[in-house]
This record gives sequence, C-alpha cells and structure tokens, in this order.
Amino acid sequence: MKLLALEGVSFNYGSQLPTVLQEVNLAIGTGQCHCVSGPTGSGKSSLLNLLAGVLNRPHEGDIWRYPQLVTGLVMQDPQTQLLRQTVGAEVAFALENLGIPAEKMLPKVQLALRRVGLYLRLDTQVSTLSLGQKYRLMIAAQLVCEPHLLLLDEPWAQLDDHGVSELLAVLRNLIQDGMALVLVEHNASAFAEIIQHYWQLEVGKLSEGIYTVNNAPQVEAPAWLNQPKFEHLGKVLVSAEAFEFGFDACPTLFACPHGFQLQACEIVTLVGDNGSGKTSLLKTIAGVLNCRQRIPLKVLGRRPKLGIYGAELGLLMQRPSRQLFETSVLAEMQFSLRRFDLPKERAVQMLDELDLFSLAQLSPHKLSYGQQHLIALASLACLRPKVLLLDDPLAGMDKHYYGKVWYLLKRLSSQGCAILLSSHRSIEHSAVSRQLSLRNGLLVEELIETGARYVG
Amino acid sequence: MWASCRRLRALRHWSYERRETALCALSLLLVCVLSACAFVLPTYLLLPLAGLNGLLVIHGLLRRGSIWGVLKLGLVQLSITLSLYLILYGVEHLAQGAVVVARIILATIPGWWLCITAAPERIGEVLSAFLPTKWAFVVAASLSLLPYMADEIREIYQIQCLRGARITPKALRNPKNWSELVYCVLFPVLIQLLKLSRQMAVAAQSRHFGIAQRPTHWHSPRDKND
Repeated sequence: MKLLALEGVSFNYGSQLPTVLQEVNLAIGTGQCHCVSGPTGSGKSSLLNLLAGVLNRPHEGDIWRYPQLVTGLVMQDPQTQLLRQTVGAEVAFALENLGIPAEKMLPKVQLALRRVGLYLRLDTQVSTLSLGQKYRLMIAAQLVCEPHLLLLDEPWAQLDDHGVSELLAVLRNLIQDGMALVLVEHNASAFAEIIQHYWQLEVGKLSEGIYTVNNAPQVEAPAWLNQPKFEHLGKVLVSAEAFEFGFDACPTLFACPHGFQLQACEIVTLVGDNGSGKTSLLKTIAGVLNCRQRIPLKVLGRRPKLGIYGAELGLLMQRPSRQLFETSVLAEMQFSLRRFDLPKERAVQMLDELDLFSLAQLSPHKLSYGQQHLIALASLACLRPKVLLLDDPLAGMDKHYYGKVWYLLKRLSSQGCAILLSSHRSIEHSAVSRQLSLRNGLLVEELIETGARYVG
Repeated sequence: MWASCRRLRALRHWSYERRETALCALSLLLVCVLSACAFVLPTYLLLPLAGLNGLLVIHGLLRRGSIWGVLKLGLVQLSITLSLYLILYGVEHLAQGAVVVARIILATIPGWWLCITAAPERIGEVLSAFLPTKWAFVVAASLSLLPYMADEIREIYQIQCLRGARITPKALRNPKNWSELVYCVLFPVLIQLLKLSRQMAVAAQSRHFGIAQRPTHWHSPRDKND
C-alpha cells in the first residue's frame, strides 16, 4: 500500500537561494526501506523534513499522503531533540500532544521502550544516557504513536558498532511489522540487509543508486608528506603513568594499567564505545577538565592546565561549528594566528592547499557541516601545534571531506605534531601509527590492521 | 468486589497525581512571592528573607542540587557591581552596591530551588492552567534546557580559551578584554540558542505538538521500577 508520494517536488529556503530539491519523485509503500545518500549539504535532511511534514516553507510539485498517515522523524543529533528530563516523560510527550489520557500512557510508553531495547526505569534522567541510548530513546519517542513511516537521519554516524547492531535488529522487526523506513545515511552498507531501495541526492536531483565521490581529493599525499622530520622522531610529547579515571564523587570510569605515551609525528587513535570516556580523556589532556583526583599526566613536560600551552596544543571538540563567530571564513581562521602573533598568511596558504579558497569571504555559518568541520580543523592546523587532540573528527563526514581531513593530518604529522583522535569505531588507515582502545573500563594499546577504510 | 478494588486503586493513583500537581503549583507561587520580596522588602527585612532562602538551599542540597552556579554568578555580580559603585559613587556607597547584589541573589535562589525540586513538565502543567499551551511548553522546555545550555556555555568558553581568546580569568581583570568575552562566547552561544530553538521546534512538531486543544500530562508512576 502506498503511504506517501512526491511528484516533481522542488524546494528552496528563499527565492534568492539555490534550489535544494529539484523535480524530486519518490513513492514509499508499507514495509519498504529506502536509503538516501549524498554529499553533506546536499539537502538530505531537508528531504526528510519534507517527508515528515515539518517543513514550513512552500514547495512546488505534489505531495500525496495516505489519509491519517503518521510519520516519525528522528534527526541527526539526539541532544537537540530532547524536550524532557526523564525517560518516561520524553517518550510520553507525543501522547500528551495527542490528548491521550494519563492512565493510558504507561503501557504505551513501556511498549515503545521495549521495542527499541531500552530497559530503563521511567524516572531515569535523560542526561545520564549515552549518545546511542539517547538515539534509541528518540526512536521510542516516535514509535509510541505507532507511525506508519519512520524517518532516520544518519544513525550510523551517531552510534557505535554495538549500537548499530542493536538498532538494526529493532528496524528489522519494525519493517516486518509493516512500517516503512527512510534512512539518510553516508554509509549505506551498514544497513544493507534491510535496505530495498537506494537513492542518491546530488545538486538537488534524486536518482536511483548509491552516492559515490567523483571529485575526491588525492587521499595519498605526496611522498615528502609522509617523511617525518628526523629531528622530531622519538620525542615524547604526552606521557601518563598508570591511573584510574573517574568524575568527582563517581565510581571509576576506566583504568589505564600501563599508562600511555604520545610521540612526535604519530597519529594515534583512541577507540571506544559511546560513553566510554574518550571525550573526558581528551579534555583532561588539554587541561579543560579538572577532576579532584590527580592523574599522573604530563603534556609538553607540564601538568595540563587550560590555556598554558598557547599555540602548541590544539583541541577540536565535537560539533566545532559552536566555536565560529567571525563574519568570514578567512577572519575565523586568522583569529588564533592574530592572538598567538603568528603570520596571518598561513590561513590563505591553508585554504589554497585544501582547495577551499572560494569559501574565504563567505560567512562560516552558511557552510555545510563538512565544510565547517574542515575549517575548524584547518584553523588549528594553521597554528602548527605540537599536540593535536581531535574528538571524533570524522563523524558524519562524507568521503570528499574525509580525504581532505586525512591530507591535513598527515601534513601535520610530518611537521612533528603528535595527533590523538577519538572515534567510536576502529580507523583502519595507513597513516595511523597506533590504537589506544577504551573498552570494558580499560584503556590499553591494541594491535591494528592497516589499510584504508571509510569511518566517516 | 474486584472492580471496586480497582476503582479504589485508581482513585488513590489519581489523588497522588493531583497532589503532585498541587504541590508544584504551591512551589511556583512560593517562588514568585519570595523572588518578588527580594526586590520590594525594605533592607532590614532581607535578613529574615535570607533565612528562608537558607532553608531552600538546604532542601535543594539534600535533593543533590549544586549551588556552585548561583554562588559563581553572585561573585561575578558582586565584583562587577562593587567596581561600578566604586567608580561612580565612591567608597561610602559600596554597602549599597552589596545590598543590590544580595537582592539579586535572594531573587535567584528560589528559582534554583524550583528547578531542582519540580520537574519541568509539571511546571508546564501548572502554567498551562492559566497560560496558552504554547507558552507553557516554552517555559517548560526552557527550564529543561538550562543544564544543557550551562554545559554549552562552559565548552564554548573553553574552546575559545584554547584558541587564544583573551578571556581567561586573568585576562578578564583588564576591562579592555571584556568585549572579547561578548564577541567570542556570547555571540556563539546566542547563535547556538537560535539553532537549538529551531531544532527543538521541529522536534516538538514531529511529535504532534499543537494538535490537541487540551494536551494531557504525563505523571511518572509511583512504583519507580515501572
């Protein structure tokens, strides 16, 4: 049975702005699973919003909906969709809006939570959940209304491998029950077993197939780039003896029985599931997080403290778009150079090198997610830091920007920079020297396989 | 017999829910009265008011609330206000400045206590009795958002410190750098708030917000194992 159909739908966010969707045709029936891929900023999320009926702008073309069609939309970042403080209240929000009597809410809320595999007390604080659990909570908050069509925006980027396999089991059951599903996903292969229809969205056009990058930058950098400078080799820039990490008045989050080191010219990955403590460790190394319990940690020969390293240490936190405030990309990149009295020309050179000079005078807030991410990273790279800490820099990146990020990291590494980058899944890339694994409450070094694999 | 038992259980359940809502309404009223008193009472009555606020602080701390945020706000407020009083009116008026700050803190503490003791959705339910549903939702959602926004502000401040912004506590001793705090932290926070409010509006809309004329309200079951 047909649930929803788009016929020749075109859409933009303003008459002066480029068209986001052009003559899009799509039909969705019960029990079907569609996957839409495409570069960042191509309008995939706008398409989902249009399907969900939450886009309050006029469009051209026809949208046909099955009468009484109920849709459920789960956007990319679960954090921005949380409207209540407890698990029960969050799931019940939709029922409140439908005017369901309070005494009938409880069984529906419990059933929705069970369907996504969340066996939690209803008064559990949402803030205590991991990102993966929050994402499943958002799905439960939609399932409670028993939607005919569920729309998910990039679940793979948000979840660790364990979370993905759990979600896959949930989605498989939902499709068997007759629910239709539309996924927006860079990595369609992760959900291959349930996807029946593949679509790619590029320059506003929706066509059948999986999006592949045609103009990817050269991932393999020139030979000189991979040759670390001799004078840097073997220098220990970050070192920690054995320690236990935990927040104040909380049990130990993880232990590091053998300590760890970061040497110049190394690219080391820090891999662990959502909520395992990766971000906290990176913040501790940068001196941003201060717990009462002292960790035997030395960074550039000193105990970490916020702001003491100047340009020698860089930290790229998640969602780097938060740090943008200048009116142009160039000014944004030059901000730190000015503050640390470094040559401003480096920003221009960097934009040139990354083939992004066309963005120089644009507002950083108008860039796509991938472009904002890359600009924030390039701003740090301009400083040529000795230690660079990156918190999940590859999450949600399409293959185009993924290649540019690796180019930048190899370049910095060859200049003597020690790079520690966190991810919720292993990064198999030839440039990675070592992997620190944060699993089951233990931080240890793990052997890695080499070879390039996309983990954006 | 069995049916009457069920009715009795349902009655008990409902009376608990009503009690919860009534308690929240009383808390809200108390907060409004105490906060208003902080501004309208004469100075000699501020001490008894501080005593009442002290009881709220003790209760809030027993409910695992953290008072550090309010204390930090008070200290920043005190240093700025006293500096301005010193520059504008001289040393003899410093006590007046301290009283102004004390009034602000006394007006803030009841709000802090309410955020700890009452669930935002319960406050929303009480407000929806005399405010349009959309307004009540905005108040409840804003209260839910407070801890998240506090974390966001802290992280943006830390990111900008690492980027070299002159906003470390030491740099901020120089008033010339205060504008940098506005530029590097306040602007990005406002942009984040705008983006977040738009995303939250979409999230609420996708969960049928505004469909029912009179929305119902969730009450967490008394048995916490449910």
